[in-house]
Order: sequence, then C-alpha cells, then structure tokens
Amino acid sequence: MKAEKKPIVSCKGITKVFGKDELAVHALRSIDLDIIEGDFATLAGPSGSGKTTLLNMIGALDHPTSGQVLIDGQPLSGMSKSQLSDLRLNKIGFIFQAYNLVPVLSARENVEFVLRLLKVEANERRTRADAALAEVGLRGLENRRPSALSGGQQQRVAIARALVARPRIVLADEPTANLDSTTTGELVDLMYRLNQESGTTFLIGTHDPRVMEHSKRHIEMTDGQIESDIRA
Amino acid sequence: MMETFKLLAPLAWRNLWRNPRRTIITLFVVSVGLWSILAVASFITAWAQSSRDATLRLLIAQGQIHAEGYMDDPNISNLMPPPGAALVAALNRPDISNWVTRLELPGVVQSEYKTLPVSLVGVDPDAERRISSIPEKIVEGRYLNGLEDDSAVIGLNLAKRLKTALGRRIILMVTAEDGWLEERSFDVVGVYDADTAFEDTYIFTGRSTMQAMVGVGDKIAQIAFEVPEDAALAGVVERLRAAAPGLDIRPWRKISLIMGAMDATMGGVIFIWLAVMMVMISIGVINTQLMAVFERTHEFGLLRALGFKSRHVLWLVTFESVLLIGLGVLIGMIAGAATVWGLSDGIDLSAFGKALEAFKAGDTLYLEVKTSDYIIFPLAIWALGILVALWPAWRAQKISPVEAMRQAT
Repeated sequence: MKAEKKPIVSCKGITKVFGKDELAVHALRSIDLDIIEGDFATLAGPSGSGKTTLLNMIGALDHPTSGQVLIDGQPLSGMSKSQLSDLRLNKIGFIFQAYNLVPVLSARENVEFVLRLLKVEANERRTRADAALAEVGLRGLENRRPSALSGGQQQRVAIARALVARPRIVLADEPTANLDSTTTGELVDLMYRLNQESGTTFLIGTHDPRVMEHSKRHIEMTDGQIESDIRA
Repeated sequence: MMETFKLLAPLAWRNLWRNPRRTIITLFVVSVGLWSILAVASFITAWAQSSRDATLRLLIAQGQIHAEGYMDDPNISNLMPPPGAALVAALNRPDISNWVTRLELPGVVQSEYKTLPVSLVGVDPDAERRISSIPEKIVEGRYLNGLEDDSAVIGLNLAKRLKTALGRRIILMVTAEDGWLEERSFDVVGVYDADTAFEDTYIFTGRSTMQAMVGVGDKIAQIAFEVPEDAALAGVVERLRAAAPGLDIRPWRKISLIMGAMDATMGGVIFIWLAVMMVMISIGVINTQLMAVFERTHEFGLLRALGFKSRHVLWLVTFESVLLIGLGVLIGMIAGAATVWGLSDGIDLSAFGKALEAFKAGDTLYLEVKTSDYIIFPLAIWALGILVALWPAWRAQKISPVEAMRQAT
C-alpha cells in the first residue's frame, strides 16, 4: 500500500482583506487548500481573483487577515520577520513574472546568491550553481549579466535560482507572462521535467493554457475563493 | 559576520556603479567638500601663522615682561630695573630662544613740517637682530649700530608724513624722569618698511642713548622673549612668573588682543567652513541614497523574498554609503594633499602689497599638511555621511517584501 504523502502547504480558512470599512476589499475568502509533495499544480483565475495574494500568503511574504498557513506543518502566524526570512530561504523557491534577477550579478552569482545566504561553502556553491544552470540549459552563459540574456534565458536563471537550494516548494507567479510562445513551451517543459525527475513541488499561478496543459492539478479561483480543485 | 561581509561587499560596490553619473556627482560633492575643507584649513592656518609671525617678529615677540602697571600706562614712572640674576637664569633656559631688553616710552616727533605722536624705543641692536624683523626691513640707510647709537630709524610712512628723509634731522620729545619734557635731535639713518600703522608709531634708537636722554639710569620698560614652540609658551610664562613674581609677564595673546582674537577666529572660520561643507555633503548623500533606495524598492522586495533579512538590507545600503563616502573622502584627501604639496613652495602674495596689509600676513604663505587635519576632517565627514545615510538605509529595511514586489508588478 502506498504511503499517503504529507501536505507541504496547508491553508486553513485563510482570508485577506485589504483596506477597512467601506473601502475593504476581500482578496481571499476562507481558503482551504493543501499542496502535496510532488504536485505540479496550477492556480488559475481571472485578474483580481486572488492568485497572487494566495501565493504571497503561501510564500510567507504576507500575512492572512484570518486563518492559518502551515508550511511542512509549521504555522507561519507568530513567526518573526527573521524566522519568515529563514523559512523562505530554506523551504520556498520563487519564480516571478518579471524575471527578477539582481542586475549587478552574473547568472551564476544570481543562482549562487541563495546558497551564499545558506552559508554553503564556496566550491560546493559554484558546483551547485553551475549544475543548476546546466539543468536549465544555460551552460556557457554563467558569467553573463541579466542585461546580456534574453527574457527566456533570464527566466531560466530564475528557475535555476529557485531550485538550487532544493526547496520544498517552488511558487511561480505568472512565470511565462512576458515570454513568447516558443520560450514559454520550453520553460513549461523544463519545469514539468524537473517536477517529474526530482519530484520538486510546483504551484504556478497562471493564465496561460500551455502551462495548464501540463498541470497535474488545476485549481481555479474566482473572487478570492477556490471554485474548483481538479487533479488530472 | 565575515560571510555576510563577503556577500554584501561586492554587491554594494557594484550597486554604486549602477548609476555612474549619480555616483560620480556624489563623489564629486564629497571629495570637493573635503578638498575645500583641507585646502581652506591649510590656507587659513598658513595665513594665521604668517600673520602671527609677521606681527610678533616686528616687536612683540612671543611674550613680554613689564613692571606692574606699565601695560595700562606706559609712562616713565612704570619702568623696571634690568632683570636680576634669577630672572636672567630663567630667561637663559633652553625653552627661550632669544630675549631682549628695551626702553619704550610715548613721545612726540617733530620735523620742519609736522609734529606727530610716536613711541620711542631704545633697543640693543645686536640682540634685536636675533628677535626682531625690523633690522631686515630697512629699505633706506642702515639699522642701528649699538646701544650708544644716537641716531634714529623711522618708518617709511612716518617719513612721508613728516616730509623728512634719510640724513635729515628730527626732534624727539619724551617725558624725562624728572617730569620735564626732554627733547633731542636725531639723525635719520635708516627707514624701515613694515605695515603702515607700525611705521607711523615706532621710532628706534640705541637704548643707552635713550636711557641717558630721559635720565632713568639702566631702567628698562620691557623684556621681550621668544620661544621655539608656541605650544610651550604657557609653561614658559608660568616659569618666568615664578622667577619674577613682582613683574607683569604676558604671552603675546594677552599683549596684542587683536592678534589673539584673529588667532582664535581663524580656527572658528575653519569650523564654520567644515559645518557648511558637512551640510552640503549630507544633503548630497541623503539625496543620492534615498534615490537609490526608492529606485530599488522592488529589488529589496525580491532580496527579502529570497531570504535576505531586513538587517541585510540595512547593512547593504549602509555599506554602499560607507564605500561611496569613503571613496569620496579618499579622493578629497588626495586632492587636498596634492594641492598643499603643489603649493609647498609658498603662495606669493607680494603682488597684493599694501592691499593685504590689514591682514598682516607676510608676502609668502607656506601651506603645510597638518596630520591632525588629515585624520579629523576626513573621519568627521565619513562618520557624518554614514550617519545621515542610515536614514535611507533604515527606510530600505522597513520595506515589506510583498509591498515592494507589488510596487513593480
């Protein structure tokens, strides 16, 4: 009998309200969600449906107004800013829409950056960073600064950076929004392959049907609520 | 800690050059500010030194000894006998390089055309050559030859006012010991060129000649002394006071109150300039760093999302300020030292001639690097720059990651 996998992320009745009184906007309404180890889940929905807000809650970047987020069973509420930073560093990888690389660092240094924060020894750091870049198809471009890379290449660096510290989950917010269709296809294939080969868990907020095609689990949001949660 | 330093140092350095124009402008502000402080400090210090030396070398020296009451009323009843053995021993100590005795009394000088008030000074010409610059300032004729020399050396401007000249005779009238006005004619054997006010006031003759003229025996009005180190003057004065308790012994600052005030004011001017430059530098640094922080709000959010702690952001921005201001300070120090070194042969002010006479400086100013200035001023600017840059750094570390990320997407 196959052992049941534990949830990496558990959202328990989380709500998020921006503003007060008559100006209050309910971005999330009582969300209950578990992300299980190995998931390649997409979070879809129209603009303003609460995808990014939910990703921010799961990524420990923001606090819910009520309810609880647990990462690996650890509740985020009550954690200090420093503890949240440590948690993000150790357990969560981020891929953002606008590539978000540090412009003054080379591709390798961008990837190494997370490892430096984790105090990984220099040789190992370099080996792992180069391996991660090779994994995303950027061998030979390690010393290039972001400005010397195409949008697709930059997003590959961002993926390498998100994966190099071997996080428990990778949160991607519209990772293909700025990319052409060919590059989008390549990146989706890449993320899917990484999920399949290394078992890395992905939760991807997206509008893009090409991303959703690969999804093993599709969560649809509307008006701050989960409308459907379907496993392929 | 070392790991954090290794992480932040290259990042901070590269961040400085993301906007080279802004960095260069800030470097310019800091370096020019420091350069101007160092150059102004050197110039003012040199000016003060030159002015002080020029004035003190004329007649005052660095300290004087008088009978009590003479300074308030320099008349013949307030003279003193020549120094006793104890005072002579004290004056001959190595911390006093030279000393002279003089008889100085107010009087009146008369030529065929004019009568003017003056101070007649009876001097020991050989001793004066060691302590006073007047013998070097003779522009016509000669200086006095000895204690018995019965001729007069007068100032250039006084000669003009009296419409007299070298080789002509003048009449000097001074109150004598017996209370009667004593008058005597003197040959003008030398004309000196100092500042106008000095030239108008002082006429020199041999001390013995003058003592005989006013009938005071060997009495004198003052002992002027010179010390090798101005810093040691206070101690020397104290020692002399102990050796001659009944006499009025004063350092130059208490004799020439204007010179003392100028000396104090010069230091004040340097600090006012320092304060002005510090305000300018602070505004420049705050402006630059705030701009740099605002422009990178999104990036700080990203770094925080990746696991950077808020203190890392604080250190990063502060470190950028440390490097930016440190580099500016270094350039300013080099520029300041180069300027002073380039002018080490002296700044020739002789072209300005009488126009600068009011400042009493010599014809040439010699700038020099004062080690303490090159430690205190750069450190003060560096420390202040970092202090004011803490505010932008503090703002940067307060940025919440989600707010920062939201700003750009």
